Amino acid sequence: MNQRVTLAGFLWLCFSLSQTSLAQTGPNNTDTTPAGTIAIIGGKLLTITHGTIENGVVVMSAGKIIAVGPAASTNVPKDAHIFDAKGMTVYPGLFDAETRLGLTEVEADANSNDLIETSDEIMPHMHVADAFHAESVRIPVARLNGITNAIVAPASEDSIAGQDAAIQLYGRDRDAMLIRRDIALAMNFDGSVRRKGSDDGSSKFPTTRMGLASQIRQAFLDAQSYEAEMQAAAKPDHKGNPPKRDLKLEALLPYLKGEKPVVLGATEGYEVEVAMEIAKEFKLKVILNHVTHAQNILDEIASYHVPVIVGPIYDAPLPSERYDAVYSLPAELQKRGVKIAFSSLGGSGDNRNLPYAAGYSVAYGLPYDEALKAITLNPAEMFGFGDSLGSLDVGKTANVVIANGDPLDVRTSVKQVFINGEAIPMVSRQTQLRDQYMPLTDNKKN
Amino acid sequence: MCLIAFAQRGCLNLFAVIALAGPPCLVGQVSEGNPPADLAIKNATVMTVTHGTIDHATVWIHNGKIAGVGTSVDSPASATVVDANGKYVTPGIIDPHSHSALGDDVNEATSPVTPSMMMIDAFDNTDKALYQALAGGVTTELLLHGSANMIGGQAVVIKNKFGLSRDQMLFPNAPRSIKFASGENPKRVYGRRNELPSTRMGNFEVMRQAFEDAKAYMASWDAYNTKVAAGDKEAVAPKKDLKLEALADVLRGKMYVQIHCYRADEFLTEEAIAKEYGYKVRAFHHALEMYKVGDKIAPTGTGIATFADWWGFKDEAWDAIPWNAVMSMREGVRVALKSDSNDYVRRLNQEAGKMIQYGGATEEEALKMITLNAAWIIGVDDRVGSIDVGKDADIVIWNADPLSTYARAEKVYVDGDLFFDSSLPGLGTTHFHGVMHDAGFSGADDEVGDGQ
Repeated sequence: MNQRVTLAGFLWLCFSLSQTSLAQTGPNNTDTTPAGTIAIIGGKLLTITHGTIENGVVVMSAGKIIAVGPAASTNVPKDAHIFDAKGMTVYPGLFDAETRLGLTEVEADANSNDLIETSDEIMPHMHVADAFHAESVRIPVARLNGITNAIVAPASEDSIAGQDAAIQLYGRDRDAMLIRRDIALAMNFDGSVRRKGSDDGSSKFPTTRMGLASQIRQAFLDAQSYEAEMQAAAKPDHKGNPPKRDLKLEALLPYLKGEKPVVLGATEGYEVEVAMEIAKEFKLKVILNHVTHAQNILDEIASYHVPVIVGPIYDAPLPSERYDAVYSLPAELQKRGVKIAFSSLGGSGDNRNLPYAAGYSVAYGLPYDEALKAITLNPAEMFGFGDSLGSLDVGKTANVVIANGDPLDVRTSVKQVFINGEAIPMVSRQTQLRDQYMPLTDNKKN
Repeated sequence: MCLIAFAQRGCLNLFAVIALAGPPCLVGQVSEGNPPADLAIKNATVMTVTHGTIDHATVWIHNGKIAGVGTSVDSPASATVVDANGKYVTPGIIDPHSHSALGDDVNEATSPVTPSMMMIDAFDNTDKALYQALAGGVTTELLLHGSANMIGGQAVVIKNKFGLSRDQMLFPNAPRSIKFASGENPKRVYGRRNELPSTRMGNFEVMRQAFEDAKAYMASWDAYNTKVAAGDKEAVAPKKDLKLEALADVLRGKMYVQIHCYRADEFLTEEAIAKEYGYKVRAFHHALEMYKVGDKIAPTGTGIATFADWWGFKDEAWDAIPWNAVMSMREGVRVALKSDSNDYVRRLNQEAGKMIQYGGATEEEALKMITLNAAWIIGVDDRVGSIDVGKDADIVIWNADPLSTYARAEKVYVDGDLFFDSSLPGLGTTHFHGVMHDAGFSGADDEVGDGQ
């Protein structure tokens, strides 16, 4: 017999789950029993890959989506927990293309930050997976608004800042949440990397963009020499000791071979151009990032045929620019055939606001479906998860969100999030504080 | 003396004198043409804030004031008609906490008590942040001193008539406000110099001492005035002191006290000190923990100007929850949202929209937080903040429901005059044709511009 759960019954469901495992009510999952089969029925499905289905069904089992389709033609297994999503919107979990999740807790508290090594500009051997704090209070806050996957990247104050990790925003520990380590190399080419005027003083190279560019080139040349040296040493006729392993140069090799993408941050048009010249010299596989004030080279960007994570659309236009110069950038790039994604950086950097940046771009010309894709399937594809994340399709990881309306609208509330086919407890430190103090509100009403 | 007593009213007087004395040649940008005497915005969905949302309504503007609103308004045949079919109309958005157009002069962080600082002296009316805010529908802003000092400086209230002169942008006869701060910022700024205050104990003691100094100063003047009244020709006047005069005006109730304050315990301490020294707190700004003690603050009548969903950027913002605004409102506190940011000021309407998500505010309650309640905090709610007959015609026409993600301000009127029109080529400004300044983005924030 189906166990039917209406939306009003969601809390009840969480409660009943919590009886089997007390820790379920907290942010971390310590329940190792696999989730049963769940069917979401009656909702409006935004599938991303095959349109909108009014009154659709999504069935999830063993962490995967096993059926998606119209109610009339989709079988609901008898043993499934039913979530009745009538009047609700159902969509794939959102994918945030750049975050600092797990690298910082309280921004102003230095002890809680593992954001960036600034002792040198070339730090490819920094692995964010080594610092990722899976128990961060920020993660449940983000996932309650439907963010189920994210790229964690170091802060952008180094030319080569380190290697990103891809995470799922729910799991019992970091091993479960880190779905791929060292997934991409975080690179930056903009003025903020220069150490000019910093506490270190300005005597240390590099203090100019010329310096930054030559330093990056030298790092990749050194890595090429290192590889040649290692290959020579590997030959049977090699005499003498093998060269000492160099972790820094070794870290660059997969990127020089084009095996993994380089996420290349550049803000302004001329920075994008210089960064792309360097990338071409070394045949790097590029995802452009932070592109913000590049309205002057839109066609050129399209001609690169690389995906772009747009810079914060909330970045202020230059004094000479129209007020909407940055708001409209995603639309202008998409119009030219560029595959775009959004990240939650910029604004207050609050990850939970990712969908609203996409929505605001709709107000400034981006087609709605493209905006939704830019926070689901597009970033998934850019980082090699096109087969497993980013849409409601059979076989994909069962990361699914139920909300009471349009996911891109600030007025919409997320009602339930599923990660790996599990109905996660809709609890964060913030909901706990809310519920603790809610009696003050209720008393006033009575 | 005059520096303090004038505030912005004095500057307007000054402007009037100049205008009478000759052509206003000091004015940089001159408005081209006068706005029409009568303007009728027709067929709009009008969100009045005070008396509901009216479909297919007309807003009639006469000589810069709202002369009629509703479905049966008899605007004169001579009125310029704007057809707003399918559009939404709201009062101009009001930001009760901004540091725009103040450049790097947000904080005089050389002493924790600087009440004689006048923000008008740093006001740069060509800052691009004002233009960008105007394009987001913002028509009134309270420009505040930063939060480095327990007692900061005196605010300036502007109408966002971007392109007009500094004096023309001042909100006429707006009440005087002074910025106080508490918590982490003052103790950090002075503590790292090994000066007082470096703790919250130090913070509040600095304040109490300042008011003791002001009381002694007032007493010395009272004694002098008593002697003069008694005919004592030998009486020697005490020295005029700008700082103590300003504090005396706080104690005399002549200024609205706007306090940067995050934590629940500090709201209670601030209210206790205000009671002890006999002044009234107008609003707590940021106020991220008001949901914890809203029931206790509500009876004092103090309002709040808070963020919609900011949290976690510092220790005292760690208990911030996005339900704060609506929970505090339900606990009886008057709630406004504010930007404290050159970024968020451009989309306060969306921040208000989040209040529907977090706590289930009605559209009217949400809109009120960025219009009428914000106006109340500044003390200009009798003039702006709703679409009511007699109020200033500060009006925004939106392409969509302003509380949705998809809203764009299409036309913005201030005092019945069109200042922004997104359909125009170029910047969309009607009065601005000069060169904008970038008065600073990073500095225009309580958290960044605290004198570091």
